[in-house]
Amino acid sequence: MVEKQEQFEPRILGFLCNWCSYAGADLAGVSRISYPTNIRIIRTMCSGRIDPLHVLEAFRQGIDGVLVTGCHIGDCHYITGNHACEKRVAFLKSVLPEIGIDPRRLRLEWVSASEGGKFARVVKEMIEDVRKLGPSPLRKELQKSASE
Amino acid sequence: MIEQQEPRIGVFVCHCGINIGGVVNVPQVVKYIRTLPKVAYAEDNIYTCSAEGIDKIKAAIKQHNLNRVVVASCTPRTHEPLFRGACVDAGVNPYLFALANIREHCSWVHMREPEKATEKAKDIVRMAVARASYLNPQQESEVPVDPTALVVGGGISGITSALCLGNQGFKVYLVEKEPELGGMLRKINRLYPTNEEAATVLKASIEAVNNHKNITTLVSTTLKSVDGYIGNFDVTAVKGSEETKFKVGTVIIATGALEYRPTGLYGYDQYDRVLTQVDLERVLQSGKAVMDKFFKPQRIAMIQCVGSREDKPPRSYCSRICCMVAVKNAMQLKEWYPDSEVYILYQDMQTYGKDYEEHNRKAREADIKFINYTKKNPPEVTLLPDNRVKVTVTHALLGEKRELDCDLVVLSTPLVQHESAKELSKILKVPLGQDEFFLEAHVKLRPVDFATDGIFVCGTAQGPKDIGESISQAYAVSSRAAGPMANRKVRTEAITAVVNSERCVGCRMCEHLCPFGAHRIEDGKSTVIEALCKGCGVCAAACLRRAITMRHFTDDQIMAEILTAFVTEPSAPSESQSSLPSKGGI
Amino acid sequence: MSKAALVIGGGIAGIQASLELANQGFRVYLVEKNSSIGGRMAQLDKTFPKLECAACFLTPKMLAAGRHPNIKLLTYSEVKEIRREGKNFQVKINRKPRYVDENKCVGCGVCARFCPVEAPNDFDVRIGVRNAIHVPFPQAVPLAYTIDREQCLQCELCQNLCPVGAIDFKQKPEETEIEVGAIIVATGFDLFDASKREEFGYGRYDNVLTGLALERLLCSAGPTGGRVVRRSDGKIPRKIAFIQCVGLKGKSGRLYCSKLCCMYATKEAALIKKQVPNVDVTIYYNDMPEFGKGFEEFHQKARSELGIKYVRAEVSRIVENPVTHNLHLYARNIAFGDPIKAEFDMVVLSTGLIPTAAKEFEKNFPLKIGEGDFFVTANPKVDPVSTSVEDVFVAGVAEGPKDIAESIEQATLAANKAAAILKE
Repeated sequence: MVEKQEQFEPRILGFLCNWCSYAGADLAGVSRISYPTNIRIIRTMCSGRIDPLHVLEAFRQGIDGVLVTGCHIGDCHYITGNHACEKRVAFLKSVLPEIGIDPRRLRLEWVSASEGGKFARVVKEMIEDVRKLGPSPLRKELQKSASE
Repeated sequence: MIEQQEPRIGVFVCHCGINIGGVVNVPQVVKYIRTLPKVAYAEDNIYTCSAEGIDKIKAAIKQHNLNRVVVASCTPRTHEPLFRGACVDAGVNPYLFALANIREHCSWVHMREPEKATEKAKDIVRMAVARASYLNPQQESEVPVDPTALVVGGGISGITSALCLGNQGFKVYLVEKEPELGGMLRKINRLYPTNEEAATVLKASIEAVNNHKNITTLVSTTLKSVDGYIGNFDVTAVKGSEETKFKVGTVIIATGALEYRPTGLYGYDQYDRVLTQVDLERVLQSGKAVMDKFFKPQRIAMIQCVGSREDKPPRSYCSRICCMVAVKNAMQLKEWYPDSEVYILYQDMQTYGKDYEEHNRKAREADIKFINYTKKNPPEVTLLPDNRVKVTVTHALLGEKRELDCDLVVLSTPLVQHESAKELSKILKVPLGQDEFFLEAHVKLRPVDFATDGIFVCGTAQGPKDIGESISQAYAVSSRAAGPMANRKVRTEAITAVVNSERCVGCRMCEHLCPFGAHRIEDGKSTVIEALCKGCGVCAAACLRRAITMRHFTDDQIMAEILTAFVTEPSAPSESQSSLPSKGGI
Repeated sequence: MSKAALVIGGGIAGIQASLELANQGFRVYLVEKNSSIGGRMAQLDKTFPKLECAACFLTPKMLAAGRHPNIKLLTYSEVKEIRREGKNFQVKINRKPRYVDENKCVGCGVCARFCPVEAPNDFDVRIGVRNAIHVPFPQAVPLAYTIDREQCLQCELCQNLCPVGAIDFKQKPEETEIEVGAIIVATGFDLFDASKREEFGYGRYDNVLTGLALERLLCSAGPTGGRVVRRSDGKIPRKIAFIQCVGLKGKSGRLYCSKLCCMYATKEAALIKKQVPNVDVTIYYNDMPEFGKGFEEFHQKARSELGIKYVRAEVSRIVENPVTHNLHLYARNIAFGDPIKAEFDMVVLSTGLIPTAAKEFEKNFPLKIGEGDFFVTANPKVDPVSTSVEDVFVAGVAEGPKDIAESIEQATLAANKAAAILKE
């Protein structure tokens, strides 16, 4: 099988809101805090923009883990956007098992503009957590080799 | 038209000295980017943000006929406006620009893994290129603002803001529900700490309002409806059965507050000699002779924090001014009755502000006696046979009880919101807080604004404060309102929501979710008021009919990034994704 | 008449006033004596009463001021002279040398990485360190480095490494002269020097610190990454005392109430409680000024839900145990005078606010100063921004102790009054 000899490297997709969490990730950079390269970041203006369909599509494409971040409750630049985000993530977590995805592959974190350290820590934790869960069952290579 | 042109994307990858170049193999990234579809040109620069780098972008746009630009460098939070400016100078709409963050999110956090960082940088730039291919030009626009203001409430705050705006040349409608202007100030005797008569202050202001050529005063009038948005409000006011309609550009809420009537507490409404501070002000206004006739007080007790600082909302707040009001009135009583004993029974004395320390000190010098009690052990009030009132107070620390036979007991109660304000909050679609006062957009950063643009609040309608603070806030709010009215326009965001009315079924979810009131339902369909939309996208993500999308953050654009994050050849996205065709001016 | 305005001070009040004026189309010169704008708010972790992230709200405003086409930032600069000429003011501004060309510097940070000198960092109340070539904090605006010449060894390593050749040791102080039609003074505050109250042992005892120092410890971007630890042994404190009203004393016990300190102490106590849930916190206070919305609720929550103790007492002195570095606190109950004695492993002094610039102004431009050295305004209630000099306004703590919300409100008012004059 593909991943036997090498360690499985999870692919993590991160959604960051422009105001707090993106600035927090920037601060991690400015402070030169290291974390592994497994994450790719998509910026939206507000965590409330993130549609459950976006997250589901990410999993459908074989992404192993999705990290959703936003401003702490009460700090949202658009006042209530992160409330909507919180509800949607809760909904997603209840729906993911129905399509065979472990809900632990989806994580919600509030990261403020001064929490560079927290951002790096959360990314590191998530990579390890998802590594333990193994590759996403929807990964194309696995499906392909399963049919061989 | 640019929307029909094939995207010709120019990619500029920055070394940022050694910040990026020292970790990421920039030439390798550029080589890779050149292989991507729709990339017409790619180059690397040492410092893209330098004057030289900017010139190179502009030159490349012209030379290679580029209609989309991607810069791979540092965080957009610093230089995005700079690069957008370069696009504009070269004739490319600034919203056809995308930035790939390969510094803060890549080279700086993966300094010990240069090969992996290089691979990640390729992914990041590929994502930005995919996004760029779906970008469309956007315009900011302007909304005209009618230079007329509506001030709701004719108390000192309303009067002050009306005068302030009127003096600046704006037309003002001042609406007051009572038959007279003046509000709470009509019931007050003297003001602290200057001790001037409230009536004098009020008289001058009311005269000024009534004689002002720019101010139209409507008394005995309430609001029936206020429709529209900043710059363009349609107001319907009602007096009896008569309706008046007019248009305004901004609305200022200055509806004030009431004194809480503590019925049932400490014998209020039961015993004749138990009054509130406002009741006392009325008596003081009437003069010493009246006080002599009804009370001839030799011993007076004032009880602070009656009906405020409670465990649960709405009256869990501290009303801030009652301590100073009590001291002010106590001093007045001492002045009239120098031999009397005046007691103030308090939990904490509010003494913020430059002059108040001084004021408190004078009170102690005038022999006003302060007794501290705790919330857990409040004073008790009982009726004496001669109609006087006995106050029993437990000293906070000693635990010792003192009994005071009083001729007059005055209860300091909090300011509370008007019942009618609840109706007003629905008419204007602005919120009330847990304390029932109007809830501003942000306590610290936008203390007189609402989330909805064009509507402001000042005075005690927003929370307990003294007259000076109300006046000060009224000035501040007039400045805020004057801004858009002076410019006769406001700019709107380019990043706004768009509703596909064919798909919309009018479920109102978007209207319900939007904190800025930017969705209105007309003819059963949702429409976006661009002047109010802030571009958060909560509605777009919520719409179950996929009828709403966000300019510059469309589903296609986000999807493009998801699909290119890790794989070079993603499988086709499921059909339910796009609500709108990817080209077509959105 | 000049259509430009001068704003002195780049804290939240100065930034707000500048943005208000710039958005209305006026040219603004924003002069700031430090190398970055941001002021005191940049040093805060969270704000009261809702414990919101200060940086999240401040940094976008700083960025907006930094790139607004109508605002010219003159950082690391001070106003030297103001002269009235007709309707305008001629202002001389002294630009201190950074020894780095602000226009060339791209903020890459290579210089600091290799600078051999470390010096105590004023931004972190001298708890943390920074290099001789430094930015005061990562989100500085403008993002340009500055060399502290006194600390600098002149090894020229930075100059050799700088990829854009921005280092220039030959830089000299520069004088600029500008003409403006209105001035807004928003010079903010310093905190009272706690060492002046010798009885509290500040500066002598390791585990006695000021409220601002504690704020830097609490800040996740601060010198300890957000961990509150004792200076003497790096351990997490178990029992903390806050002493309020640490400032100059007048006849009545203090000259004026600094208004903020009880709220900021409550805030810091609440934040510590979140970090170390079973820590024992006592606040020794006189009165609890609650001048803003939500403050009473916050205070009550601190008492009942978080278990923070509030004791009405006058603290007379602090004595250190030289072995454990714990602190013995001696106080007197306010109502009665019975003595209180308690042991803590950390003591925080809530120092009062003192206005920064008043005395300097008096020298070269007579703005009337009043009680506590705050600027006197026409009428503290009705017009709290007009000073004794026509067309000169004041905003923020320079006028008197106030919190962020009030500073912003006042700055808006001052800006609009200035705008009204400039429009004439």
